[in-house]
Amino acid sequence: MNDPLLAFDGIGQDFPMPGQRSRVRVLDGISFDIDRGKFVAVIGPSGCGKSTLLQMAAGLLAPTRGAVRHHGRKVTTVNTAVGFVPQQAQLFPWKTLKENVELPLLLRGVAPGERRSRVAAALGSVGLDGFENHYPSQLSGGMQKRGSIARTLVYRPDIVLMDEPFGALDAQTRMVMQNDLQALSLEAGATIVFVTHDITEAVLLADNVVVLSQRPSRLLANIPIDLPRPRNMFEPFRNVGFEAAYDAVWTEFRSQIDTGRIH
Amino acid sequence: MTEMAYEAPATEADNPARVAWIQKATHWLMTLLPGAALLLFWQWSSGRLIKEIYVSKPTAVAQRLYELFASGEIYPHLWTTGQELVLGYVIGVTGGVVGGYALGRSPRLARIFEPYVMAFYGVPKIALAPLFIIWFGIGMGSKVALASIMVFFLVFYNVFAGVRSVDRELVNLTLVMGANQRQLTYHVFLPAAAPFVMLGMRMAIPYSVIGVIVGEFTSSTQGLGLFIHEASATYDPAGVFAGIVILLGFVMIAGALAGRLERWLLRWRTPSGFGPSEI
Repeated sequence: MNDPLLAFDGIGQDFPMPGQRSRVRVLDGISFDIDRGKFVAVIGPSGCGKSTLLQMAAGLLAPTRGAVRHHGRKVTTVNTAVGFVPQQAQLFPWKTLKENVELPLLLRGVAPGERRSRVAAALGSVGLDGFENHYPSQLSGGMQKRGSIARTLVYRPDIVLMDEPFGALDAQTRMVMQNDLQALSLEAGATIVFVTHDITEAVLLADNVVVLSQRPSRLLANIPIDLPRPRNMFEPFRNVGFEAAYDAVWTEFRSQIDTGRIH
Repeated sequence: MTEMAYEAPATEADNPARVAWIQKATHWLMTLLPGAALLLFWQWSSGRLIKEIYVSKPTAVAQRLYELFASGEIYPHLWTTGQELVLGYVIGVTGGVVGGYALGRSPRLARIFEPYVMAFYGVPKIALAPLFIIWFGIGMGSKVALASIMVFFLVFYNVFAGVRSVDRELVNLTLVMGANQRQLTYHVFLPAAAPFVMLGMRMAIPYSVIGVIVGEFTSSTQGLGLFIHEASATYDPAGVFAGIVILLGFVMIAGALAGRLERWLLRWRTPSGFGPSEI
């Protein structure tokens, strides 16, 4: 079993330009692997197609060239073996928190008794017990995000795809969420692909940081981050070796910011 | 107005139920006040500013209403119009929800049929009244048809817009969670469209009344529209207003029922209990 769990294999993607006949090339020959139990952060300038990669892994979008392989099999339809945590929490506003977290189990035909215990466990693991019967509109942004993560983890997906999940949160909530995500992923041994534009976040959370260039985006580097865990999310500079790791990513990333005109 | 409501709790702070009751009573009083003022002005001006033969007066209308119900003269009209309203409304709403949902879910169907629906929407439905009488007879059929077609378009457009506005990302998420099309409909599209369905249903209530009354005005043997038509033809403004008051009652009852349904269906929108809390 040396095969990677998830493999992006020469991915290329063209999007039609609105109102034009020409197509814009977004992704150009991107290849990297994600091994089981690894936390991989994908970082790149805005508009470089980071999120597009996640959509391909979830089978929501077919790449123009290349393929995404999950367990060695090409992803062609909606990939229900993965979990998706979007940028906005996207809880169902018409369902209570409990019903939200229960939904994936319901859709997958899990028996009611097991559903109850797994929902309780998932809500407990993100620190939301006591809010079962609240509607999303009654929860703060951070709590909604926790609910969204619980809703994904509850069905124990093979891979968790996270699309800038903490981008919309305030700085403090964000640190707490990063810390909790680290604890959760260590505990569950989850495989995570985490898209972000924040270098610090990427370095602190990931085992590997994949750096993408501007459009048409190519893979600039795949940098292993060998900081010991658990890492200190609240004081990044206190992690031994953080500076060197940050530097390694920044060296690759800076060229993209210098030449960037579209922001 | 708000000051009054806030001063009351200060003295009655030990009894929240009572405070709530007083606030509610104050609210109702304030709501009824403009209506009462209008009625008083109407009563006073009738015969003073305007001849009573043109505008009647509230007491005369009340008197007339009492006679109509006491003698039982109005019941056949009520029964006919009531049936037409309910039937027309139910058929229109059902058609609108089904049609709007189908076209909202299928971009291909929408591309084919939307121009047609748009074109028919533009037709003034009232102009169809005489035709409908020819097609469906002077009985209830023509009124039901007229009401339901007016209701249909309103509900149709709201549901169509509602289904199309469902967040694509939410749909994709649900698919990744493992939903099939039936589950997607039940857990995502229907609840997401519910506010639009309700909006359409509420807006459609007065339109169903217009449809039925126009139909009855055009040609009929029984119904409130006919009653009002005859009253105005015989210079009986009290009768006209009595008929209008009854229609008003219909609309208000239907509105209250729809409001109740809305509060229940959309209970997630106006949540009671705790407000947002910090993490």
